[in-house]
Amino acid sequence: MKLGFSEAEEAFRAECAAWLQAQMTGEFADIRGIHTLTDMPERRKEWEQHLGKHGWGCIGWPRQWGGRDATLAEQVIFAEEYARSGAPGRINHIGIELAGPTILAFGTEEQKQRFLPDIAAGKTIFCQGFSEPNAGSDLASVRTKGRLESGEWVVNGQKIWTSLAHISDWIFVVARTEEGSKGPKGLTFLMMPLDQDGIEVRGIRQINGDAEFNETFFTDARCPADSLIGNIGDGWKIAMGLLAFERGVSTLGQQMGFRNELDAIIAAAKDNGAANDPLIRQRIAKAEIGLRLMRYGALRMLSNSDHSKIDGAALTYKIQWASWRRDLGELAMDVLGQAGEIAGGSAYEWGMLPNLFLFSRSDTIYGGTNQIQRNLIAERGLGMPREPRGDL
Amino acid sequence: MMDFTLNEEQLMFAETARQLFADMSGPDQWLEQMESGAARIEARWNAIAENGLGLLLLPEASGGMGLGELDFALIAEQAGYAALPDPLVESAGVAAPLLAAIDPEHPLLADPSVSIAIQHPQNPLVADADVAGGIILHRDGEAWLAAPDQVTLTPRESIDPFRRLFAVAWDTASATRLGQADWDLALDRGALFSAAQGLGLAQRAVDMAVDYAKDRQQFGKPIGTYQAVKHHLATAQVAIEFARPVVQAAAAELAHGDVQSRARVSHAKLVALEAADNAARISIQVHGAMGYSWEVDVHLFLKRALALTNSWGTPYFHRQRVAQRIFTQPTGPDQTFAREIEHA
Ligand SMILES: Cc1cc2nc3c(=O)[nH]c(=O)nc-3n(C[C@H](O)[C@H](O)[C@H](O)COP(=O)(O)OP(=O)(O)OC[C@H]3O[C@@H](n4cnc5c(N)ncnc54)[C@H](O)[C@@H]3O)c2cc1C
Repeated sequence: MKLGFSEAEEAFRAECAAWLQAQMTGEFADIRGIHTLTDMPERRKEWEQHLGKHGWGCIGWPRQWGGRDATLAEQVIFAEEYARSGAPGRINHIGIELAGPTILAFGTEEQKQRFLPDIAAGKTIFCQGFSEPNAGSDLASVRTKGRLESGEWVVNGQKIWTSLAHISDWIFVVARTEEGSKGPKGLTFLMMPLDQDGIEVRGIRQINGDAEFNETFFTDARCPADSLIGNIGDGWKIAMGLLAFERGVSTLGQQMGFRNELDAIIAAAKDNGAANDPLIRQRIAKAEIGLRLMRYGALRMLSNSDHSKIDGAALTYKIQWASWRRDLGELAMDVLGQAGEIAGGSAYEWGMLPNLFLFSRSDTIYGGTNQIQRNLIAERGLGMPREPRGDL
Repeated sequence: MMDFTLNEEQLMFAETARQLFADMSGPDQWLEQMESGAARIEARWNAIAENGLGLLLLPEASGGMGLGELDFALIAEQAGYAALPDPLVESAGVAAPLLAAIDPEHPLLADPSVSIAIQHPQNPLVADADVAGGIILHRDGEAWLAAPDQVTLTPRESIDPFRRLFAVAWDTASATRLGQADWDLALDRGALFSAAQGLGLAQRAVDMAVDYAKDRQQFGKPIGTYQAVKHHLATAQVAIEFARPVVQAAAAELAHGDVQSRARVSHAKLVALEAADNAARISIQVHGAMGYSWEVDVHLFLKRALALTNSWGTPYFHRQRVAQRIFTQPTGPDQTFAREIEHA
C-alpha cells in the first residue's frame, strides 16, 4: 500500500494547474466561478472549444480522437485542478463522459470519425434522451418509437428532464424500434441532430429558479439509418454500458468541487460566527470526514487495476456522494441562517451556497435515485432476493 | 392530567379556515399569483376578513373575540397546509394583539381587512410591509407605528416565492410613538404560530407524496408499493404526530410568559419545523424529478419551512432557550411534566 500520487503525476498536476489558472485569470476570467449550468452559454461554448484546441477537452480519450491517453489518476488530477481553478461546470459533460465513451466502446469506425473529434474539440454538445414521463427509474418502459423508412429513422414520442437540450447539438435517444416489444427488448440507441423541424425543446423550471432541463418532443424527427449505436434491438445493452460510465470515473474528480463548497461553508461559518456553535462545528467536522472518506475510496478505486472491481466500488459511490452533498446543502443553510434565505439581488437567483442547498435536492434523484441505488447494491452487490416488482 | 381534546368552537373555526383555504389557496391560485406577481388575491383576503379569521386573538375591547393562542394556532396550521401567501398569521397572530395591548381602540384595529406588519428584533426584515395599513417598528424597547409611505422599503427576494420581505429604514420624526410593548410575548406568538404552520406544511407535504405514490407507476406498480417509499413517508408522519401535542401544549401555556412556557414554545418550534423540513424533503424525493421542478409545488413547502425556521428565532436561539430551562430549573423525574401535574 502506498498513498498519494507519483512524482510524474504531481508534475502533471502542476501543468494542469498552471494552464487552468492562466485561463481563469486571463481570457476566460468572466466565466470563472459560475455555479449554475445555464449562465452564459455562448461564452461557455467558446470555453469548451478553447479546452479542445489546447488538448484539454477529453484527456482520458485516445490521442487518435483528440484525447491525451491520460491515466485514471491523471483524469482525476485534471478534474481536481479544474475545480480548484474556479472554471465553470462542463456544459458538454454528457458528450465527454457518456456519449464519447459509448461511441468509443460500441460505435463503428465511421461513427468514431464522425463524432469523436468534434466532441473532443468542444464543437458538438450532446444531451441525454433517456427519461420519459412514464419511464424514470424504470427506464426499460420507454415508449418513444423509432421506425426505419426509406433509409432514415423516423422517431415519435417524448423525452423529459433532458438537461441542456436547449443548448445542445445532438441527443442520444433510447427508442422502441420493435413494434409491440416490452421492457428491455426491442430498444435501439439512436443519435439524432437536435436542429430539425421534428424536434421541439421546451424548458422546465427547477426549484432553484433555473431551467437546466427540458421536455423534448419528437414528431417525425429524423436521422440517417446508420445513426444507431450497436445493432437494432441492442439499445438496452448500450444504455446500460453508458450508465456504467456515468457511475464510474466521471464522478471521481467531483471531489475538488465538493472541497470548494465545503470551504465556502467553513469561510461563511467563521465570518458570521456560526463556527462558535458547537453543533455546527461538529457537523462541519462530520462533513470533512465524509469528504476524506470519499477521497480514500476514490484513491483505492484508482489503484485497482482490475476494472470489474472498479465497477463494484462505483456501484456504492453514487449514493455516498449524493447523500453527502445533500447533507452539505443543509449544513450550508444552517450556517447561513437568516441570510441564506435572501437572494443577493432582486431576482430569484442564488449564490453558491443557497444554490447548493436547492440543487443538491436533485443529486439523490438523477442518475439513479438513492432508493434505486440501494436496491442495486443489495440485489446486485449483495445478491439479495429481488423486491417483487410488476410484470416487466 | 392535560386534556388534548379540542372544543367545538375551536374545531369550527379550524374547519372554516380549512375550507376557505382549500377553495382559495391551492395550486391554481399559487400559479396565478406567482405569474401575476400580485401582492395578494383580493377576493381571498376579503374572504379571510369576512370570516373573522383575523379576530380570534383580538380582545373584545378591540372588536375581537378574545380567544386564546390555541384557537389561533389551529388556524395557523391550516394556513401552513395551504401554503397561504397572505399575511394573516403575522398580522392577526402577532401584530394586531401587540397593538391592542397598547391601545385597544387604535383605528387600525377597526377594519379586519387591514393588515398590520411588524418589525421584531429577532427578524432582520419585515414581511408584507408594503400592503400593510401600518408597520409596527421597534426602537430601544419601544414600539412605534408608521404607514408604508412614511418609511423607506427595500424589497428583498426570499427563497419562499410567496414571502414578501422588506428592509425598512425609518426615523422617529415620521413615525408615531406607541410606547412600551411586550416584545417577548410577540416573539413567543410568532414562534408558536410558525410551529403551527409547520404542522400544516408537514402534513401537506406528506399528503401530496402519498397521493403521488399511489398514482405514479414504475416497474408496473404504484411506487407506493415499494417499502423504500412507504417507510420514508411513515417516518415523516411519525414526526408530525409527535410534534402536534407539543405545539398544542405550548399554545395552551404560552400566556405564562416564564422560563417554562418559553422553553415549551421553543420546543414546539424546533420539532414542528423539523417535521416540516423533513416531510418536504422526503416529498421531493418521492416525487423524483417532478419534485425538483418548479411547477409541482412541493418545493413551496420546503421553502416555507425554511423561511419559518429562520424567523422568530433561529434554531440556535430556541435550543438556547430550552437549555436555559434545563440549567436554571430543578430537574428530575418529578419535574418533566411539572406544570401539567400542577394543573391537573
Ligand atoms: C436535475 C436532473 C437532471 C436530469 N437530467 C436528465 C437527462 O439529461 N436525461 C435524462 O434522460 N434524464 C435526466 N433526468 C431524469 C432522471 O434520470 C430521473 O429523474 C430518475 O431516473 C428518476 O426517475 P423519475 O424522476 O421519473 O422518478 P420515479 O422513477 O418516478 O421515482 C419516484 C420515486 O419512487 C422511487 N422508486 C421508483 N421505483 C422504485 C423501486 N423499485 N423501489 C424503491 N423506490 C422506487 C424513487 O426512488 C423516487 O423516490 C434528470 C433528473 C434531474 C432531477
